[in-house]
Amino acid sequence: MSERISLKETERQAFRATFRDGLWDVLLGCIMLQFAIAPLLSTRLGDFWSSAVWLPFFLLVYLVILLLRKYVVKPRLGTVKFGPARTRRLMHFSLVMLVVNILALALGIVAALNPTLVGSMAPIALGVMILAGLSLMAYFLDYPILYVYGVLLALAPPVGEWLWRNKLVAHHGFPVTFGILAALMILIGLVKFVALLRRYPLPATDEPEGA
Amino acid sequence: MSQVQTEEAGRHPLADINTLIHAPARLMVLTNLYVVTSADYVFLMRQTGLTWGNLSAHLSKLEEAGYVAVEKEFRGKKPHTTVRLTDEGRAAFREYKRSMQQVLDDLPD
Repeated sequence: MSERISLKETERQAFRATFRDGLWDVLLGCIMLQFAIAPLLSTRLGDFWSSAVWLPFFLLVYLVILLLRKYVVKPRLGTVKFGPARTRRLMHFSLVMLVVNILALALGIVAALNPTLVGSMAPIALGVMILAGLSLMAYFLDYPILYVYGVLLALAPPVGEWLWRNKLVAHHGFPVTFGILAALMILIGLVKFVALLRRYPLPATDEPEGA
Repeated sequence: MSQVQTEEAGRHPLADINTLIHAPARLMVLTNLYVVTSADYVFLMRQTGLTWGNLSAHLSKLEEAGYVAVEKEFRGKKPHTTVRLTDEGRAAFREYKRSMQQVLDDLPD
């Protein structure tokens, strides 16, 4: 292995260490949980409130994750400031995700206004958008498990549609397909988090004086 | 120092390798610092697998040589130490990398 590759790998490993805690998996799982539970809530609360109730839930999850990172993860893994190349890459990522989200919103509005235009292609279109979004995240964040999540989540809408058409489940199958995947992601995240706590206990002593 | 200069001086090229950087533990520390802007003590400890004491001793040597800058602060009541590579340290690491590549490239297969 050449020195250049070794340095790149060192930087990549340092960056990947920031995902070692599994909290991003939990956050993504909680986001996907919305797709599973919102259709069930909409029959009781209506479309608006079934979506609106998720806002405080996401805020709470995000707050818990921030606190866990600050008080549990950072004292165990330490903090690092990355170089300009990584910062540029993250800025590119933010811009690309902004474009993807605007595109997804525009397509969503078109689909909502003209349901016949999209028709039976809707589950596939949704799957492709999810796959594209998560693949871009995996690429820019150097986090390969997101490719796997992307493929599984991209299959969720068409598989759910198939289950629904065969009258096996209600709500286009979303509660089942997205529910299983959300639970899987949250479980993977929690396993990673517990593994981190076991593998990296708090440093036994304070920092030595002579550093 | 170039290979020509080294040969003129009659010394083995490896004799000019920077031994302060060449020690495995310090090389690990410097490699990690080379690819980031700065890192704290715990991060370096986790990435290198060194103990507090070892890391502290190696960082002291690197600081004495002017290769790293160590900044201490208090977060609440706990001391927090951030380390970054200085311009001198970055240049020395680049030179070490170039020297090692040159020496190893010249070895027969």
